[in-house]
Amino acid sequence: MGKWTRRAFIATGGLAGAGLIVGVAGIMHVNKAIKKYSGVGMGDGASLNAWVRIAPDNTITMAVPRAEMGQGVYTALPMLIAEELEVDMNQIEIVHPQPESPYANTFFLDPNPRKAYASYSLMAKVAAFLPVVGTGGSTSVKDLYDHLREMGATARAALIAAAAEKWGVTAADCYAESAHVINKKTKEKLTYGSLAEAASKVELDFNPPLKEQKDFKLLGKRIQRLDIPEKVTGAADFSIDVRPEGMLVAAIRHATYIGGTVNGITNIEEVEQMKGVKKVVMLEDGLGAAVVADNTWRAKNAAMALDFDEAGNTLENVSSADISKMLGEIVADESKMIATSEAYGDANAALNGEAKVIEANYEVPYLSHCTMEPLNCTMVINGDKCEVWVGHQGGSMVRDAINTVTEIPKENIKVNITYLGGGFGRRAELDFVKKAAMVAKQMPGTPIQLVFTREEDMKNGTYRPAVASNFKGTIGADGMIDAWENKMALQSVSSSFMLRTMPAMAEGPEKDPQTSEGAIELPYGRNNVSVQFGQLDLPALQVGNWRSVGASQNGFFSESFMDEMAHAAGQDPYEFRKKHIQKSDLPDAPRFLAVLNKVADMASWSTPLPEGKYRGIAILKSFGSIVGQVAEITKTDEKEISIDKVYCVIDCGRIVNPDTIEAQMQSGIIYGLTAALYNEITLDNGQVVQQNFPQYEMVRMNTSPTVAVHIMEVDEYPGGVGEPGTPPAAPALTNAIFAATGERVRSLPLNKLGYTFV
Amino acid sequence: MELKINGAIRNVDVEDNMPLLWVLRDELNMTGTKYGCGVSACGACTVQIDGVATRTCTLPASAAVGKEIKTIEGVAANGQLSAIQKAWIEHQVPQCGYCQSGQIMAAEALLDSNPNPTDEDIDKSMTNICRCGTYQRIRSAIHTAAKWRAEETTLQG
Repeated sequence: MGKWTRRAFIATGGLAGAGLIVGVAGIMHVNKAIKKYSGVGMGDGASLNAWVRIAPDNTITMAVPRAEMGQGVYTALPMLIAEELEVDMNQIEIVHPQPESPYANTFFLDPNPRKAYASYSLMAKVAAFLPVVGTGGSTSVKDLYDHLREMGATARAALIAAAAEKWGVTAADCYAESAHVINKKTKEKLTYGSLAEAASKVELDFNPPLKEQKDFKLLGKRIQRLDIPEKVTGAADFSIDVRPEGMLVAAIRHATYIGGTVNGITNIEEVEQMKGVKKVVMLEDGLGAAVVADNTWRAKNAAMALDFDEAGNTLENVSSADISKMLGEIVADESKMIATSEAYGDANAALNGEAKVIEANYEVPYLSHCTMEPLNCTMVINGDKCEVWVGHQGGSMVRDAINTVTEIPKENIKVNITYLGGGFGRRAELDFVKKAAMVAKQMPGTPIQLVFTREEDMKNGTYRPAVASNFKGTIGADGMIDAWENKMALQSVSSSFMLRTMPAMAEGPEKDPQTSEGAIELPYGRNNVSVQFGQLDLPALQVGNWRSVGASQNGFFSESFMDEMAHAAGQDPYEFRKKHIQKSDLPDAPRFLAVLNKVADMASWSTPLPEGKYRGIAILKSFGSIVGQVAEITKTDEKEISIDKVYCVIDCGRIVNPDTIEAQMQSGIIYGLTAALYNEITLDNGQVVQQNFPQYEMVRMNTSPTVAVHIMEVDEYPGGVGEPGTPPAAPALTNAIFAATGERVRSLPLNKLGYTFV
Repeated sequence: MELKINGAIRNVDVEDNMPLLWVLRDELNMTGTKYGCGVSACGACTVQIDGVATRTCTLPASAAVGKEIKTIEGVAANGQLSAIQKAWIEHQVPQCGYCQSGQIMAAEALLDSNPNPTDEDIDKSMTNICRCGTYQRIRSAIHTAAKWRAEETTLQG
């Protein structure tokens, strides 16, 4: 119970007027003006806590202060409340509230008590100072699995207490069902709506016990998502769809070179004469300009017509080949390692012994997030007031960023978080918010929709870093791995991200835990392990959190080298992994083994495939969940591959919505395969080469495999599901390609190596 | 210029070469049709023009004069979702949802011209990008919608 009380305190700390004890009437911090953008309204009624408000007509409104970017959070979080509150899913309406402290993501603050993934220790420092209301790191359910059930349970108990008092019976004489309290003896029923006002004044002197898993009515069941109906009619509003009265569009154009600046524009008068153009605005950060017009197309054309007087190209002599060389030099030089992320035994001694050393160099390129909805942000500034509509992963970060640019007091900034047309980490950045503020403050009173064209979006990314890894390993006389050494080189994502978004809290790259995700705590028992990393200093080229972050490259590296070791040991890749998991002393090694065995079983691993078909296997834990995959491919020609099927098994602990988990596995796999097949962001003397989808192709219907998903039933605290599907996708595929062609793929994308996909 | 959109006549005063996408989104505030790439590569802006799935981010609005334009807003008739829209819900297709207007418009055109498509037909016709990777569910939903439409026809026949 102590934990509960502490969380309740954290949840309400700093919120004046809110109830400090769970169950006492709190303040529902909901902005009524966002109705249009969240699809529902608050209506009347009474708040039972910061998450639940009940109207007299029995409408149950729930706050969902996390970004819906496709991962199903607008359904999963209400399910947690509804399970304990005893309401049906079709009785629920959702609002996305203002980013107030009751909604802080406490997983950023304190992930360790959950024994979950500690990747956000940097964020934890920030959260200690500021309540970060944010969505990322596959944390939404991990953060709120207990808390929201507690919120539902206490609200239900208060409603029952109110009914009991009305009937002059005890709470034990009543039960709740489908938003009604029912008198066991008389079978009388009262709606929650008729009790909410009284319930909001009830002071509970106990914490109602939470349901046992066997009694769940919603959790663990395939529940239809609440956001889907409006996503099939075109009615769902993304931030690019908002149309406040009098809105104008600002098309942004950045300097030609990454990190370049614009001194001036030589044809402003001319451009301001173009049809529909209202104003040309130089951005105060010096990084570009925006053209404000009455139509996106006119604004975009005018922005293209601007003649920039450009100054500086800090990456003038830097092209991708140079970066590749620098990364290679770092991993080849022990003295360039800045931190050791894992070490036991004596890898160095083992590598200098009698056994043959297997060595391999891996490398992956920069990647763009390519959210389907190009970056945009709509904002109106009126004196010392601001209202913003944006699809963003961090509502509190949006408010803080606007405050920084405009000095408008935070309490005067109304933040409307719309649906996100994809997030993937790109919408945790603030560049598009700050730039909207820079333009909006020069157009007071006029709502400004700042839009990146696809080209501006792709050329001005916060990319997944290019990364190199040098592996060395040995096989002992017992056929097991004796030594495993991995030296990595990259730009630190956490350092780059924090410097941009919360500079006061930024730490050096040597402290970045994300760098090592997927490279350490592998489930394989090995005698001597050393994992280290070095930093590539290239601050002008910004790197950011890209779906699954460090695990996105390390999963590919680790699980490919594991396959190489299996091959070197002359053993089957599945059997080899199995033996090493059996040798592992990680606490969750049995869970790894169960996942590995299940996915091998699904794929009928021990049954040979027909001629021309091949398979590869990979397994990785990330964001608290273990995912194993087998990719089954057909070699249709020399270097022509059809990815027929991916078998996927996930152990994410307790299951909230299995349909969403399945969807996230399918999604994460396509995301990982797309990068593996086609994607790289390259630099040519400081300029990004790729501009749009024709140079940055995507897996489409005809190249998309069938994905079969199995979810393990494990009664452990939940892990994440938005990201863990991505990391094993590339190595499962490239391990299959090795089986098919004998070529060990050590760099991506595959199309650059001459592979085509059908 | 005069455009016929979802059965209604709309007059707009725009340049001849303004792409239809921006006429819909910015002149008529019909925002169900999405901008994704501006180069006809992703299909987020797909509508039907005389029944043919057409990418509108590079199509001059003037080219659509005198033709029947159907957008996502015109798919549900009299408040009734189409078989495809229902199948999209049945299979829980959308994730972020941004590309789905275009996907649905492409799927409607496919089933109108080919009531019982094979997987190969779907591969050929459904070329829009979905960054969330909902392809498998789109495929299943198209097969389900084809079945429902056939049943509906049988009932009516």
